[in-house]
Amino acid sequence: MFLRILKKDIQKKKVMNLIVLLFVILASMFVGSGLNNVLTVLNGTDYYLEKGGVGDYVIITMGPNSIGALDDMLSSTPAIDAYRMDNVVYGSKDSLKKGDGSAIESKNVLLMQCLEDSTFHFFNEDNNAPAALAPGHCYVTGDFMAKNGLSEGDILEVGQEDVSVRLIVDGRLKDALLGSTFMGNTRILMHKDDFTKFSGSEKIAKAYSGQICCIDTKDVDTVDKAASGCKNISLAKPASTISMCYIMDMIVAFIVLLLSVCLIILSFVVLKVSLSFTINKEYREIGVMKAIGIKNRKIRTLFLTKYFGIAVVGSVIGFIASIPFTKLLLSSVSKNMVLGNSLGYLLNAIGAVIVVIVILLLAYLSTSKVKKATPVDAIRTGQSGERYSKKSKLHLSRSNKLGAPSFLAINDTASSPKRYISIVIAFALCTLFVLMLVNTTNTMRSEALISTFGTKSDLYMTSVKDSMEIMGSTEEETKAFFEKWEKEIADLGMPGHVALECQYGYNITYNGETTRVICEHGYGTNFEDYVFLEGSRPQCKNEVAITKILSKKLDIKIGDTITIDFGSEKIDCIVTAYYQSFNQIGEVIRLHPDAPVENTYITSTMSFQFTFDDHPDRKTILERQKILKDHFKNDEVFTTSEYVADCIQVVPTMETVQYLLLVITIIVVILVTILMELSFIADEKSQIALLKAIGFKNGRIYLWHVIRFGIVALFAVLLAGLLSIPMTNLCISPIFGMMGAYEIDYAIKPLEIFVIYPGIILLATLLVASLICLTSRSIHASDTANIE
Amino acid sequence: MKKLMEIKNLCKTYVIEKRQNNVLKNVSFDVEEGEMVGIMGPSGSGKSTLLYSVSGMDRATSGSVTLDGKDITALSEKELASVRLNDMGFIFQQMFMMKNLTIMDNILLPAVECSKSTESRKEKVARCEELMRKLGIIEIAANDINEVSGGQLQRACIARSMVNNPKILFADEPTGALNRQSSAEVMDEICKLNKEGTTVLMVTHDAKVASRCSRVLYIADGNIRSEYRTPEGLSDRDRERALNNWLLELGW
Repeated sequence: MFLRILKKDIQKKKVMNLIVLLFVILASMFVGSGLNNVLTVLNGTDYYLEKGGVGDYVIITMGPNSIGALDDMLSSTPAIDAYRMDNVVYGSKDSLKKGDGSAIESKNVLLMQCLEDSTFHFFNEDNNAPAALAPGHCYVTGDFMAKNGLSEGDILEVGQEDVSVRLIVDGRLKDALLGSTFMGNTRILMHKDDFTKFSGSEKIAKAYSGQICCIDTKDVDTVDKAASGCKNISLAKPASTISMCYIMDMIVAFIVLLLSVCLIILSFVVLKVSLSFTINKEYREIGVMKAIGIKNRKIRTLFLTKYFGIAVVGSVIGFIASIPFTKLLLSSVSKNMVLGNSLGYLLNAIGAVIVVIVILLLAYLSTSKVKKATPVDAIRTGQSGERYSKKSKLHLSRSNKLGAPSFLAINDTASSPKRYISIVIAFALCTLFVLMLVNTTNTMRSEALISTFGTKSDLYMTSVKDSMEIMGSTEEETKAFFEKWEKEIADLGMPGHVALECQYGYNITYNGETTRVICEHGYGTNFEDYVFLEGSRPQCKNEVAITKILSKKLDIKIGDTITIDFGSEKIDCIVTAYYQSFNQIGEVIRLHPDAPVENTYITSTMSFQFTFDDHPDRKTILERQKILKDHFKNDEVFTTSEYVADCIQVVPTMETVQYLLLVITIIVVILVTILMELSFIADEKSQIALLKAIGFKNGRIYLWHVIRFGIVALFAVLLAGLLSIPMTNLCISPIFGMMGAYEIDYAIKPLEIFVIYPGIILLATLLVASLICLTSRSIHASDTANIE
Repeated sequence: MKKLMEIKNLCKTYVIEKRQNNVLKNVSFDVEEGEMVGIMGPSGSGKSTLLYSVSGMDRATSGSVTLDGKDITALSEKELASVRLNDMGFIFQQMFMMKNLTIMDNILLPAVECSKSTESRKEKVARCEELMRKLGIIEIAANDINEVSGGQLQRACIARSMVNNPKILFADEPTGALNRQSSAEVMDEICKLNKEGTTVLMVTHDAKVASRCSRVLYIADGNIRSEYRTPEGLSDRDRERALNNWLLELGW
């Protein structure tokens, strides 16, 4: 009999059981992929850097006599457990051409090296080790192929000084050390035969060679101090700093993580609501079973068996669905990284098992009503008759303007708000994530962040070749260089001045400890344009500002005195202010314009800045952008917002994730709408039949349901819109803070966060609710005779 | 008297798992304006099916149902809904009401939905209050549906069914879920409405209730087997006794 009751129940309550099954599938899918993503993202860069063979500390040398420059330090530092060394040859975008002779685009310095001899582990798109290279073939790292429209099989002409080779591109590889958006250096990995041609050239060995050294150590600070005494260092950073270079990728990863956690919470909330709802529907059966003498334990077992069955079927389907869903969520994050965890899809399976346990627990708790139910409940259709709380909150008699469907919809939501909580949570959470990402992306491509890279100008031009020319020139030559460009732009009818933000590597001493620090100094920039957060702007050459990150790292505060070794002289400088910078992950010092800087200490530069004297409007700036591109034959001329986006690099990825998240949100919204609307129709069958019986047309009933869903969705998306501003600040600011920017003026676009994105979600909800409520057509006025 | 409803050769067949079940077989009868007609019969005889088919809540398989000269079997779902809203009133055995509305709003709901009158909302409210006063439930107007007794709720259902001044009132076992006291009160109200000119077609298995009808149709196996006209001038007890005798003759 037990099984017969169960079979009948499954047959009779097809819709409700199907709804629970769908929720279970959703929950297992979200919990499974959520767990996997959480662990994967938490492993994040550490997992990737370890797999990539980066070690604990990395030193890159560059320039004349750089080969062997580290040898003494490596042999004399006991803190070094082991190290690996790669020889490289540097190049700029002028060193490379496409097979057809056309130029390639590359913002940063390029590195050429031999794949076989490399001590690094590179990964292909499938996160596997790449196949060995044949002579005449190469791999490239990062987004070089995509940026230059290259595909597998295309040819690259690599030339430096007296050596030139033609290489067939075999594909793109992921590079743990230099592949981050912050590093952004492309490596051309070639066969030993090809690389020997470069490394064997004396001219190249003299001017363009260098080494990458990965050190294994437990004492990073000692190695850091030892490295500060070495020459020819282009980069010397611990793995923790290299890891920070993936911060932009990790923003996306953390958003995926937060989304996963929310999807887990969401699925349990929805599951609890749907289980309570279905068990409430079964109240009458419980009464009947008690009336005929079935014991509480047996009744509970009956329900638990049923929900166990549904949970197992749903979890298995959910587990299978969670595998592609996990991949989908991580796909945009893992473009530049190898993400993973040692447990793999076992976590998805664990998630599915957790869902089964939770369902059984929820079902067990929900069926506690079995004890309370009396046989009389069967007669009273589950109503105890003891509810005296007022339900209706609005009055049709006092609502002069509202039609019946609108009134019913508004009154329903106002009278039973608890019923719609799961929808509000689901919609608001999903929308909130989309809006937080929208705010972040908008900020990243707005002018708001320019002060974290330097000063605001009308146009910016990136040119590695010209930057390198500056780096190698004297003060007079630099002056002449800028004067020449200023004359050229004046001749073009747009007089103005040219400036360049430069980074210099200097040793600073504080409390007897010497550390190599990157100092920022603008050539031709207006010092009044720099933004300082606290303290007072440096007034003379022995005053500097420091970032909060560096202040924390070196324990240097405003008022402290540090000694900077400028090469020509050592100056005691007072720290007078804090400022924020994205450069060098925020570990920088701002020098006064009068500081005795020398070009030989320049480690890198930002883009050339053009500020026109006539304060042109936006339209004129865009016209001048074209003129500069043509004049300098350089496509990399940017407006301020374009320059910010170009510096941050991650904007296109963020946009992709934003759209992916929007799609996921719409899918979740659609599923929740389908399931909840089906539940509502099943729950309100008698009311729908009654309305039809008293003469309501189908359209008016659809309208009631659609308006009701619309109200709930509108409330949720507006709530999300309002919360998105403080939540963006709360969740994203710490990430910007890690990169060096503490005070961010977010670019909030009210039209986007209150109209466009909520509108899209609202529209999807209304559309799906309109379609699903059509199923109420199958309820007839005559069903009033059959409803118990 | 003018014929308000004319039912001709009405058939209703349900097909369940390829098995035909002819619930109504060529049922024909008329309902005159101002009449109160009762439909009686054993369980499963097709009483409720007849009521639902005649009122357009369910589609008949064949035959015609004319209301005030209009064949409602030929109407679309939309047109039928309009007829139900404007010209018909319904009272059910279960006192179905919209859960989140007060008694007053439940009664007002069809009036607000109805477009046949040009009354303002205020006038409609006043009319509802008048109707509730008449049915003795004005004091529960602001109550929720779970705050009132079954009898009060059924009277609220009657008020709702009458709010759009229907041409005919259909009642399916209106006292079936009520105790004797409440049954009598509800029947008093229905009879009062009938006396004021409302035509009533009612399904019941209670002879006491049926005895208050002017005419009773006895249905068995999907056919009207007999028709009984209640003699005038008898006391309530004698009317009931006479009806019971007729029912006994039919094997009730």
